[in-house]
Amino acid sequence: MTSTGVVGASGRLPAIRQTAALARRSVVAERRQLLNILPGLVFPLLLAAVYSRQFSRALAMPGFPQVDSFLDFILPACVVQAVSFGATAAGTELALDIENGFFDRLVASPVARFPILLGRLAGASLVAAIKAAILVAVFLAFGAEVKGGPAAVLVIMVVAALLVLAIGGVGQVLAIRTGSQEAVAATFPLVFVGIFMSSAFFPTALMSGWFRVVAESNPITWVIDPTRRLVISGWSAGDALQAMAVPAMVGLVTVSLAVRALHRKLGRP
Amino acid sequence: MTTTLATRPVPLAGDGLGHSAAVVVALARRGMARMVARPSLVIPTFVMPLFFIVSFTGAFSSLARLEGYGTSNVHDWMAPYAALQGSVFAGIGGASSAADDLENGFFDRLLLAPGSRIPILIGTATYSGLRSFIPTTAVLLASSLGGLSLRGGPLGLVCLYAATVGMAVVFCLLGLTVAYRMRTMRSMMLVQVVGFSSMFMSTGQVPLHFMEGWLRVVAGFNPMTDVLQFARQGFLGPLSWSTTWPGASALLLLILATGLAARRSLGKMAP
Amino acid sequence: MVPAIEAEGLVRTFGEVRAVDGIDLSVARGEVFGFLGPNGAGKSTVVRMLTTLLRPTAGTARVGGHDVVTGSAAVRRTIGVALQDAAIDPLMTGHELIRLQSVLHGIPRAAARARGGELLERVGLTAAAGRRVGTYSGGMRRRLDLAMSLVHQPEILFLDEPTTGLDPTSRQALWEEVRRLNTEYGTTVFLTTQYLEEADQLADRIAIIDAGRLVREGTPEALKGSVGAPTLRIDVAQGSVETARVVLCAFGPDRPAREGRVAIGLDGGAARVADVVRALDGAGVVVDHLELDAPSLDDVFAEATGRRLEGAGEEL
Repeated sequence: MTSTGVVGASGRLPAIRQTAALARRSVVAERRQLLNILPGLVFPLLLAAVYSRQFSRALAMPGFPQVDSFLDFILPACVVQAVSFGATAAGTELALDIENGFFDRLVASPVARFPILLGRLAGASLVAAIKAAILVAVFLAFGAEVKGGPAAVLVIMVVAALLVLAIGGVGQVLAIRTGSQEAVAATFPLVFVGIFMSSAFFPTALMSGWFRVVAESNPITWVIDPTRRLVISGWSAGDALQAMAVPAMVGLVTVSLAVRALHRKLGRP
Repeated sequence: MTTTLATRPVPLAGDGLGHSAAVVVALARRGMARMVARPSLVIPTFVMPLFFIVSFTGAFSSLARLEGYGTSNVHDWMAPYAALQGSVFAGIGGASSAADDLENGFFDRLLLAPGSRIPILIGTATYSGLRSFIPTTAVLLASSLGGLSLRGGPLGLVCLYAATVGMAVVFCLLGLTVAYRMRTMRSMMLVQVVGFSSMFMSTGQVPLHFMEGWLRVVAGFNPMTDVLQFARQGFLGPLSWSTTWPGASALLLLILATGLAARRSLGKMAP
Repeated sequence: MVPAIEAEGLVRTFGEVRAVDGIDLSVARGEVFGFLGPNGAGKSTVVRMLTTLLRPTAGTARVGGHDVVTGSAAVRRTIGVALQDAAIDPLMTGHELIRLQSVLHGIPRAAARARGGELLERVGLTAAAGRRVGTYSGGMRRRLDLAMSLVHQPEILFLDEPTTGLDPTSRQALWEEVRRLNTEYGTTVFLTTQYLEEADQLADRIAIIDAGRLVREGTPEALKGSVGAPTLRIDVAQGSVETARVVLCAFGPDRPAREGRVAIGLDGGAARVADVVRALDGAGVVVDHLELDAPSLDDVFAEATGRRLEGAGEEL
C-alpha cells in the first residue's frame, strides 16, 4: 500500500478516505489468508451440525425455549463464535505492525490518529457482517428458520460487526500497551472459553450451581439470548436493541480506550 | 591425557534387545525432562481437558435428567470423554516433540544410533503414553469434585487409564507418520483436527440412542465409540466383557495400524 | 583391503532436481578424503546418503563394508558424524547430550562417564557442560557436536563443512584434531569443505564436486600439477608494458592481467624465472614488482568447471 493512496490531495473528509483505505487493506489481507478464515467458519459449523443431531431429546425438557429444531437455537452462538475467530486479528495485526515498524511509518505520515485504529476495525467488522450473512444462509439451507424475518438477519449482521469492534478494541488496546503479538493473541482463548461459559450452547435455565451464576453474568449471554429470541420467537424491537446494545457499549468503551492509549503512546499531535 | 583415549578402547554393549530397551527408556526420559525444562509444554496438557470437563458438565448437566442417559451424574458420562480427548492431544504432543527435533536437526542424532530404528518410535510413543497420565488424572480430580462415582470398582479406573494410554499411543504414532513425512511442526495441526473431530463425532457427550440422522450412522461406525464405552464402563456400572472387548480390540488394532504406518513413514525418510 | 567407503553411481533426486548425479568414490582405510565444492554442489547430500540419513535414488554405497541401505544398522556402528548444522537439542545440557549419545551407541554407564569427561576436556567444554546447549555460541555447538560424533570411537568419521563460519583459531584447532585422530588412531576421515586451503592442508586425496558430479579426483599435488604452468605476473613502469609483453610471450601463453601488469603462464615453472628477468633486463624494461603463483586448487576447479571456487574479483 503506497502512502500516496492514503495522503492524496486533502479532500473534504480526508479522515474518512483514510479510514476507507486502511479498511480496504485489512479486508484484502484477510482475503489473502483464506486458509486462516476457514477454521473460523468450519469449527462453529461442526459444533452446530453435531449438536443439532445429538440434543433433540433435550428440546422437550421444561426450561428449554420453544424451538422446532436445535439449529434455530444454536444459530446465534455459531455466528458469535465465527466472528470471534477473526476479531482478535485486528489487534494482532496492529501489534505486528508495531513490532515490525510499519506503525511508526503510519504515524509519521499525515494519516490522522483515529483512522489508524478504526480503519483496521472497520475492515474486520465488514468481514464479520459478511461471515454472519453466509452462516445464516447455510443454516437456512439446512432447514433453520429465522422467525424474526429479514430484519432479524440484519440485526444479526450488525451484532456481528459490533462484536468485532468490542473484541477487536480490547485487542488493540493490548497491542498499543504491550506492542506484543503474543499478548494480543492470548485474548482469543479467553473469548473462546467465554463463549463456552455462556448460554451459547444450552439454556442457562437448565444449568445449576456456580456455572449457572457465571453464565448468567457473562456479557456474551446478554448478547446471545436476545439475538436468539429474534430467531426463535419473532421480531421484537426491544430484543433487537438489547442485542446490539451490549457490544455497542463495550465497543465504544474499548475503542475510546484504544484511542486514548494511542494518544498517550504518541503524545497528543 | 592424550594417551588415555588410545589405551582404553570404549566397550560397546552390542545392539540387541537390551540396547533397544535402553534407547526406549532414554528417549522416554528425555521427553519427560523436556516437559520439566519447558513448563509451557505441559500446561495445555491439563488445562485443555479441565476446560472441557468444566464447560461441558456445566452447560449440559441437565442431560443426566433425561431418561436413558445412562447415569444421573453428567460427570460419569463426560469425564472419560474429557480424559480421552486430553490423552489424544497428549499423544499428538509427543509427535510434536519429534517434529521439533526434525525441524532443528537433532533428529539426525537419533537416526544415527546403531541398530534398528524401531526404538525411536517406541520411545516417543512411550513418552506420549506416560504424558497421558496428566490429563486423565487432572480430569478425575476435577470430576471427583463434581460427584464422579466409580460404580465398577477400581478395575474401572484401570480401564480408563488403559484406554487413555492407548489413545495417546495411537495418536502419537499417527502424528509421527505425518511428522516423518512433512518434517514440520505445522503439520501437527492437521492431526489435531483429526484427533478432535474423531472424538467429537462419537458418544462423548450423549449415548448413541440419543443421536439421529448422519451423526448416529457415523458414531455407530466410529471406533472411538467403542473406546469410549470401554473407558467409561466403570463409572456407569459393573464391568462386563461385552463393553470391554470392542473398545480394547479397537485400540489394539489402531495401535498396530498406526505403528506400521509410522514405521513405513520413517523408513521412507532414511534406510 | 576393503575400502572404508565405496560408492558406485550414487544418485539422489528431489523432485525434478538431480542434486547428486552419479558419483563413484573409493576411500581407503586410514585415509583423509576431501570432498571439495561450492555451495549447492551436493556435498551434504552425498554425506547424508553415505551415513544412512537419506535413501539414494539410485546407485549403491558401502561404508565399513556394509551396504548403506540393506546393512544400515551395521554401518552406523562404525561411523561418527558431525554435520554442517550441529545436531543438538537446545533444551539439554552438554552432559545430558553426551550421556544420551552414549546410550544411543550402547556404551555402558561407567565407561560412558569417563569417556564423556575426556571428550569434553578435549574440545574445551568441561566448564560449559552443565549449561543448556541453547546458551552456547556457534563455535561451542560445533565442538560439542564433534565430541558427540567421537563418543564411540568410530573407525570412520564424516565431517560436513566442519569449519564453515569458525574463526581462524578454532579452524586450526579442528585441523589439528583431525590430523591427530587420523595419525594416532588411524581413523578414516571423510571431510567436505568449500575451502581450498582446508582440502589442500588436510586431505590425502581430494575429489572436486560441482552440480552433483565429480569433476576431478586425485592427490592435491597431482591435481595442481595437472593444471600446468604457474602464473608469472610483473608490474612495469608506464611505457614499458608493450615491450614487456613482447619479451614475456616467448616464455609462455598470455594470461589475463589488470592495467599496467603483464601475466603469462610460465612454461618450465620457477626454474625459468632467472631467464625471464635476464630477458627483461636485456630489453631495458624496469621491473617494479614480480610474482610467481603456483597453480592452486582454485585453478584446478576453474579449469574443470570454467568458474572460480572462492570469491569473485580476484587480483589478476
